[in-house]
Amino acid sequence: MKKSRNSVLVLGAGIAGIQASLDLAEMGVGVHLVEGTPTIGGRMPQLDKTFPTNDCSMCILSPKMSECVRHPLITLHIKSSLEKIEGAPGDFRCTVIERAKYVDPVKCVSCGLCEEKCPVKIDDVFDEGLRKTKAISRYFLQSIPSEYTINAGHCLYLTKGVCRLCEKVCPTGAINYGDMDREIELNVNAVILATGIDPYDPIGFGHFGYRRYSNVVTSLEFERMLSASGPLSGHVARASDGRAPENIAFIQCVGSRDISIDRNYCSSACCMFAIKQSIIAREHNRDLSATIFYMDIRAFGKDFDRYYEKAQEQYGVEFVRSKVAEVRELRNGNLELKYTFENGDIQHREFDMVVLSIGLQPRAGSRELSGKLDIGLNRFGFCRSDTFRPLNTTRDGVFVCGAMNGPKDNPESVVSASGAVAGAMEYLDAARYEPSAGGGGVPEKHVTGERPRIGVFVCHCGINIAGVVDVKDVAAYAAGLPNVEHAENVVYACSTDCLETIKSRVAEHDLNRVVVAACTPRTHEPLFRQTISEAGLNPYLFEMANIRDQCSWAHMDEPEQATSKSKDLVEMAVAKARGLTPLERLPIEIDPEALVIGGGLSGMSAALSIADAGHDVYLVERAEDLGGNMRDIFFNFDGSDPQEFLSGLIDRVLGHNRIKVWRKASIEDITGYVGNFRTKLTGESGELEELSHGAVVVATGGQEHETEEYQYGRSSRVVTQKEFERMLHDGSFPAGRLREVVMIQCVGSREEGRMYCSRICCSKAVKNALQLRKRKPRANIYFAVRDVRTYGFAEEHYSELRDSGALFFRYTPDSKPTAELIDPEDPHSRVRVTVLDPVLEKEVVIDADLLVLATAIDALPENLKLARMLKVPLNSDGMFLEAHVKLRPVDFATEGIFVCGLAHGPKDMSESLVQARAAAGRALTFLRKKSILAEGTIAEVRRERCSGCGYCQAVCAYSAIEVDPEEQVAVVNDALCKGCGACVASCRCGALDLRGFSNIQLYSVFNSLVRETAEGVVN
Amino acid sequence: MNKEFVPRITSFLCKWCSYTGADLAGTSRLQYSASIIPIQVMCSSRVDPVFLLKAYLSGSDGVLLGGCHPGDCHYETGNYHTRRRFAIVREVFESLGLESDRLRLSWISASEGPKFARIANEFTEEIRLLGENPTRKSIFL
Amino acid sequence: MSSISIDKSVAMGLKDLLGYLLDSDKVDSVLTMRRIPETGAWDLALITDSGNLGEAEPLAPVMTVNAGKELSSLSLSGKRIAAVLKPCELRALIERVKREQGSLQNLLTISHTCSGVFPLEQAADGSMNELLPKYEKVASMGEVPSSVRDTCKACQHFIPVHPDIMLASAGAQRPGEGCVLYLEGGKAEEALREFRGVRDDRVFDPSSLDRTAAARKKERDRLFARVENDCSGLDGLLNVFGKCVGCHGCSRVCPICYCALCDFESMNFDYNLPYFEEHLSRRGALRLPPDTVMFHLGRLTHMSFSCVGCGMCSDVCPVGIPVAAVFSRTGERTASLFDYVPGRSLTEEIPVMVFKEEEFSELG
Repeated sequence: MKKSRNSVLVLGAGIAGIQASLDLAEMGVGVHLVEGTPTIGGRMPQLDKTFPTNDCSMCILSPKMSECVRHPLITLHIKSSLEKIEGAPGDFRCTVIERAKYVDPVKCVSCGLCEEKCPVKIDDVFDEGLRKTKAISRYFLQSIPSEYTINAGHCLYLTKGVCRLCEKVCPTGAINYGDMDREIELNVNAVILATGIDPYDPIGFGHFGYRRYSNVVTSLEFERMLSASGPLSGHVARASDGRAPENIAFIQCVGSRDISIDRNYCSSACCMFAIKQSIIAREHNRDLSATIFYMDIRAFGKDFDRYYEKAQEQYGVEFVRSKVAEVRELRNGNLELKYTFENGDIQHREFDMVVLSIGLQPRAGSRELSGKLDIGLNRFGFCRSDTFRPLNTTRDGVFVCGAMNGPKDNPESVVSASGAVAGAMEYLDAARYEPSAGGGGVPEKHVTGERPRIGVFVCHCGINIAGVVDVKDVAAYAAGLPNVEHAENVVYACSTDCLETIKSRVAEHDLNRVVVAACTPRTHEPLFRQTISEAGLNPYLFEMANIRDQCSWAHMDEPEQATSKSKDLVEMAVAKARGLTPLERLPIEIDPEALVIGGGLSGMSAALSIADAGHDVYLVERAEDLGGNMRDIFFNFDGSDPQEFLSGLIDRVLGHNRIKVWRKASIEDITGYVGNFRTKLTGESGELEELSHGAVVVATGGQEHETEEYQYGRSSRVVTQKEFERMLHDGSFPAGRLREVVMIQCVGSREEGRMYCSRICCSKAVKNALQLRKRKPRANIYFAVRDVRTYGFAEEHYSELRDSGALFFRYTPDSKPTAELIDPEDPHSRVRVTVLDPVLEKEVVIDADLLVLATAIDALPENLKLARMLKVPLNSDGMFLEAHVKLRPVDFATEGIFVCGLAHGPKDMSESLVQARAAAGRALTFLRKKSILAEGTIAEVRRERCSGCGYCQAVCAYSAIEVDPEEQVAVVNDALCKGCGACVASCRCGALDLRGFSNIQLYSVFNSLVRETAEGVVN
Repeated sequence: MNKEFVPRITSFLCKWCSYTGADLAGTSRLQYSASIIPIQVMCSSRVDPVFLLKAYLSGSDGVLLGGCHPGDCHYETGNYHTRRRFAIVREVFESLGLESDRLRLSWISASEGPKFARIANEFTEEIRLLGENPTRKSIFL
Repeated sequence: MSSISIDKSVAMGLKDLLGYLLDSDKVDSVLTMRRIPETGAWDLALITDSGNLGEAEPLAPVMTVNAGKELSSLSLSGKRIAAVLKPCELRALIERVKREQGSLQNLLTISHTCSGVFPLEQAADGSMNELLPKYEKVASMGEVPSSVRDTCKACQHFIPVHPDIMLASAGAQRPGEGCVLYLEGGKAEEALREFRGVRDDRVFDPSSLDRTAAARKKERDRLFARVENDCSGLDGLLNVFGKCVGCHGCSRVCPICYCALCDFESMNFDYNLPYFEEHLSRRGALRLPPDTVMFHLGRLTHMSFSCVGCGMCSDVCPVGIPVAAVFSRTGERTASLFDYVPGRSLTEEIPVMVFKEEEFSELG
């Protein structure tokens, strides 16, 4: 296997593709990120908010997008497709077609004049057709890359040979009608597929009237309506009359759980999506009422059930368990729903608007793609992968992540992306690498102690700025400011020739600080920093004044005001620049070893992934044997044998020369920080050992809840699902007749004290019931359930079980089933179970030969001690709390520590495996580096001023600052500090400051605001 | 010649949400008051309460503090601390009969360009009604 | 909870206790008010030899320095100290301990119900001595002595919060009750195991102070109304704090201002040329040093929620600014935002160190 090149092709730049690319690039691996649309971001930018935290989708995504486009190891291929993969794993040859963009991205300054003038209006795909865009456009306002492209199918010139307006107005000559599609060949070691999913198109659901009735919309269209930056600016309105709807119906499972359209799987995310939308819609309009028509509410993820409860209790969202048969439009544009309850009753109700919660389906063209790339699909057309190889396609060296191999929500996509990266490591060179601090390769000039000599460059940005702001006046004003050595106007500050100008001015005027007044630092600061470092200045000696995005564009009708404000902004930037000091990003050495806590499925898998990548792993297990909870699992839907897999896994772990295993061990103490942890543990011998390592993976698992309900423990005929599975495996059924078997779900879950769904019990019970069917075909199986949460492809098995005659009774927390021992004296007594049948509305009594309880999954009480040692948080259920539930699902806020498996929350084997790989992948982003660079913008302590009061320690979310108990002085850990400044503002004594955003700098900035302006007086 | 009062509003905007939201307002060409003078900070929690005082006493007619929505902070919990600190400053102002309406805290996300523009305009209008900050002319400060 | 009664006056009983603690080596030193016989001047003294206790006047209504402030630093020395603290001093101590500025571990705190202290001026010029009999008489009647600090008159926390040993002083005593020590917690029980007196499980009954409490409440309302009247709006603020000469004496004596060096004396607040000139030209004149008003507003945001209202700041102000009245009034409001009461408990979290996810939804 050749491993020389060390690069990976990632197909699809949604959140999964972005995450995979960033993880790989962080490990020093080159990435070709191939994306079909003109922007990265995928589906996430279309979302307004994300469940269950109502996080703003763009807020959390856009930093990752910028990071992705800026990373020197990531090469973007937008408007591109992957045509062929040839060669062998480790040495693939990929053929990619880059389609013509017709706009030179180097010349385009994203000023938008072309779009303004373009006469062709077309439906905006990003806004689901709710808005128009032009034939030359950006995919959406915050697209990355931000350059324009021409839609060849609609461009007048490209289709009919007339127009050329964009070419005429483009100030930089960036339009290139002669642009051609290009075929390129890329040599890579491995391929990661992340093409995502498509929403189901409900046009086929004629009875719901989509497209016929203007007030019936899809959930994605509704999401755009809710978005503050969407076509309606967040003011939801009916297409028929523009009126704000007051009652909205959500119809669930449109295109999911439906055999008739060959979609007998659950799309997994739509329940939460609808709950989120109903909450957000309510937040927009307090008088709105939302009603959700559903079969089962599948709020199975971490903290999802609380969100569901909140929707009902705080937002008054109504949930109606029924099947909608038909939607009919009334004369006033309202819609009448006809729906059927489980008992057959039919009702009608009128709504202002109907939202169809559309399911998720494979991408259009995925069959074609699978043919081209020679990868297998499952029967629904999703990419095929197996329970125990959940990230592998059928082709070696080609991995899959995101929703391409089954519906997933955001965090699951991110987890699978990091997991796929860990998989790809197998085909990559394991050498560790030394990241460089960047810089222009030009020796840095020494400026400390010099009087500030500031150069100011005021950009016209064509007419974007100069059309509103009197840029000449601003430059003249800047020239008169103290310490400004040089000020000039430039037409496009970011153009290549202008960057050269800046560099030469630095030399000519011996400048030691540079200010550029142009667009936003969010997009352009990195470019200018790079430029001044090429001119020999420390990149932190740069400051930007945003006179376009936050001035000329926002005050187009007030040119004088805009000019005055531009002066303010420039003056503030100069004031701040005056106080800038060179900052250094100090390297922090990273120990290459990892500590993995917990020897179950997750821990062992994580350990193997890390060890296979060439790192020593210390695997610590508290029990006598490896295997954890998986030792009790014997069956799988797909017929594979979990125990066979487990024993293979244990053998590999024990035989691996890079994994050292401690059993019956306990961890006494963990200190240190990313790259430099020290752990004290006692092993079987009772001897205290000390280890150093660079990362920690927490995989301590969970445990089955011990219930006292339903006569558990008082008869051998009452067992948990775990015990039942073993029974099925070794045939140790209770003696005698086994005809009536009752299964009760949610024992301990989703109720006071454990307000969460244990996620796997429904599928597990279905799985076990199907096993029972095989062994005792004549047994009657009864289920007492609240919602059946067989999400994803498990839905098929649920159907199979129902078709086989199993009966399901719904119960609520107020109408729980009851169980009595028929002979209380008999330790093997049969059990009389009473359930309320809501359909027949009467009690059903079953004398059960076996009662199987789906007991909850509990957090380990030991978590608390470990959490304290690691200084990481637990959630209110005692499970480890990740850094960000959406986009950092296996990281902790404290760097270098990761979580996976049941320690994070309930999940099945496949999900645990994926998450374990992800934790390994994330750990490797650190371990693969010999050192990491601390941030330049970090807090610092003036020891003589510090009183050691501990305010800073209390407010730091990253455990990056602590009071040294000996010295009574706060100490910043450069490796952990993220530079937010929360501690600095908490410091009463002025002992803390933030480099690059120092107090004195900020004071001078807003001191400069007091300028008395002539513009305060108008005629 | 008649004088029209143009307020000056010092606006601390966190880099990840509010500043991005303000950029979006511009990218969307939403027009809002030029009184808003933005200062980018890494996190709203970087803003020391004393900054607010200093801005007020130095003559800013209004002081706007923009951060991520509660729960959305790029730095996990920064804005929760911001909120408490702001509550304290506001209470200090109110207890002394100072114009606490000149101080404003707003949660503006990266996608809330329209909200940013709306707040900018609303706040400017409120300040216009309050008039010029009297500290501007006070020689005792 | 238990109590020990001694058939002596409260002051004498307390002195006996201090002597016992030193002689039986329960503590290394005691911290108490003292009167220097030669000069008649008052000071706070750390006494190690019980022979020197003769000069001690542990209940003297004088506060030359907030003893909580001094004690917190001493407490880190590891020496065992018994300290007689006024309720506000005890609360200051707790606030400082919460900020890692001290430790209760080696301390035995003794506190008493308090009728207020005389302003330092009267203590220094001796005029206090003449007023003392009247003070005691008025206090014993449950009224508020008119001669004490303004903030003392308005004090709502004159019953100490959880000292190891508590005494009821004038006003809180029943006639002929003698000296009763109320012990709280094992530390006090342990230290006083061999101390002679009648043991009981009596609990202090605060109802004897209801009258005082009502009078103080009235005084507080009056004081706060005065502040509200005098110090309202920018003009009011300038009226009151315009006199400030920038000596920062108030923050130096403040028990809550624990900072090693005050931020407001840092270079952050130096003249910021050229903007200083900008201010100057715009306003036409500027007072020096600048930022004197800002200093007070800044302190209010820094520490008002922990203000214990001891009144030291007002007492040391050379130009007579009613600093304490302003701070305790605003402090009461900032603290109540968080249902916080300074010095009430060691476990109550300092408002700016924590947060709740759901709060202040009206902001932002």
